[in-house]
Amino acid sequence: MSDKSDRRDFLVRLGLGAGVVGVGLQGVASLRSLVPNVSYDPPTTVKLGPPHDFPDGLKFLPDERLFVFREGKTFHAISAVCTHLGCTVRAEALPQPETAEVDGRPVRLTHRYLCPCHGSRYRGDGQNLSGPAPRPLAWYRLTVAPDDGQLVVDLADEVDRDFRLTVA
Amino acid sequence: MALLKRKADPAAPGVHPQPLWSFRPRSDRESGDAIVANFVLHWFPAKVARASLAWGYSFWLGTASAALLLLLVLSGLPLLFLYVPSVERAYASVKDIEYVVTFGAWIRSVHRISAHLMVAVVFLHLVRVFLTGAYKNAAGGGQHREWNWVIGVVMLLLTLFLSFTGYLLPWDQLAFWAVTVGTNIASSIPLVGPQLRELMIGGREIEQATLIRFYVLHVIVLPGGLGALLAYHMWRIRKDGGLAASDLDAPPERPRPEPVVPTKTYSLLGVARGQSPVIRASALEAPDTTVNAVPDLTRRAAIVTLGTIAIVSILAVVIRSPLEEPANALLTPNPAKAPWYFLWLQEIVTDTTFRVGSFTLNGAFIGGVVLPGLLLALLTAWPWFDRSPAHAAGRWFPASRRRQNAVFLLIVVGILLLTFVGMFMRGPYWQLFWPWEAWPEIPSRI
Repeated sequence: MSDKSDRRDFLVRLGLGAGVVGVGLQGVASLRSLVPNVSYDPPTTVKLGPPHDFPDGLKFLPDERLFVFREGKTFHAISAVCTHLGCTVRAEALPQPETAEVDGRPVRLTHRYLCPCHGSRYRGDGQNLSGPAPRPLAWYRLTVAPDDGQLVVDLADEVDRDFRLTVA
Repeated sequence: MALLKRKADPAAPGVHPQPLWSFRPRSDRESGDAIVANFVLHWFPAKVARASLAWGYSFWLGTASAALLLLLVLSGLPLLFLYVPSVERAYASVKDIEYVVTFGAWIRSVHRISAHLMVAVVFLHLVRVFLTGAYKNAAGGGQHREWNWVIGVVMLLLTLFLSFTGYLLPWDQLAFWAVTVGTNIASSIPLVGPQLRELMIGGREIEQATLIRFYVLHVIVLPGGLGALLAYHMWRIRKDGGLAASDLDAPPERPRPEPVVPTKTYSLLGVARGQSPVIRASALEAPDTTVNAVPDLTRRAAIVTLGTIAIVSILAVVIRSPLEEPANALLTPNPAKAPWYFLWLQEIVTDTTFRVGSFTLNGAFIGGVVLPGLLLALLTAWPWFDRSPAHAAGRWFPASRRRQNAVFLLIVVGILLLTFVGMFMRGPYWQLFWPWEAWPEIPSRI
């Protein structure tokens, strides 16, 4: 092969290579631009209102998709987001409150949860009983806001099922 | 009769002076001319096998799908002017289309009915092609029909994605919960799932970023891709020597190596070198089994297209398109049902959560990703597994393909059964009821 055709060959490869790299980079840039750098999602820490506004028993907060339970001075919160595919479960009151042993301490169960999308069922403490749900419903940390004493939930902070917040 | 005749000098070779073509050609020459002179008709060969035109062979399901796509594009255009892709205004704009815009309800209904029919017809088209083994090649003909099958499977997927992205746009309850469930299925994929979901919905919550993504996919990306693949799908049929039924009467000859001769002369019918002239030659040698594409094929294609348009137009007068309550992130409908063509998937994700000891396999991943993925992979690769003889192609229910046809039909019936269960036997909280059983009263709000 002569030097001339070597050079031609090289230039053709160079041109094609440059073209492929150029188009490839455009593609990568286009895809990367679709990955958001700033999140405009609502904050995960939400004020829920003064503790004394909550009735004894269950209160459903649709905006946070959260069940808040009050027993006298203690509070806990269970997520209403089904662990299967994210539909909002509904609470159904039991005809008779039951007591179950959860993580070594008795819990009074007044409701059960049912999912309208694929039929998962959960016990009152969020334990998955039947249907396709792979995990129990999440429990979230409750705190009291230092400024105005409102109940605060952190939807990014999952806690164990023995978590209770006691409000003085 | 030529539509438009121009008294002019005889044209140079390769130049077609007639701006339009003849619907009723008086000679083979004029018939071939119609194909060569017309941009759209270039899809077709000049001569087609009589067997491939039979109504009872293909049922013209592919043509009907293409006609439905045409209707979808045409009815989509006015909707494009009327619909506003914003979470605040999407629902109201669809409501306006339905109740305020003149003919709006009809146009939306044409669009919706065409979409539903397209899913059904494209699926039936796939069933037909499988049962007749139409992805098979004649022995030694140099054809590659199996790749047109692969393209067809991709087009089926695009059709389903188009439907999915389409029913999100009204931003009603159906839309919101369909995105929630659909993107959570993606999220269940190990390792990359959550990032994939974030990319799909443009954040962590289903919001404006989500709607605009699905909107752009629905109006530009997916229809563009489908249109390009449709053109290629049609062109491949011609390059592979027509429908598989064509090979029954005139099997293609083995391609002969031909010396490359530099020339500017076109053959009589203006076809390129390579595979086509060989097939064309065998077709021309069998005048009893072939007919001119113009008008025999074009007439039937026109009948199917006009018939499809007529049926959809009339159905759209009778059937109104539903619009559910506005999207409400706070309340999942009970039961929350997917559209009919996804109900079998909804059934599968319901039934495929398995517990092995303390380890749980999530139904969202098994039923939503793994099982449909395997089914799809098998479907795509089936032409390479199919070991039946070449002469089994292009016939309904040949004995040599009995077993694979039976298994295929079993899977189809299974999917239809699951669809039936989801449609008629699932009530509140996705519980099983007989179709004639009344559902219990469930308070709609708590």
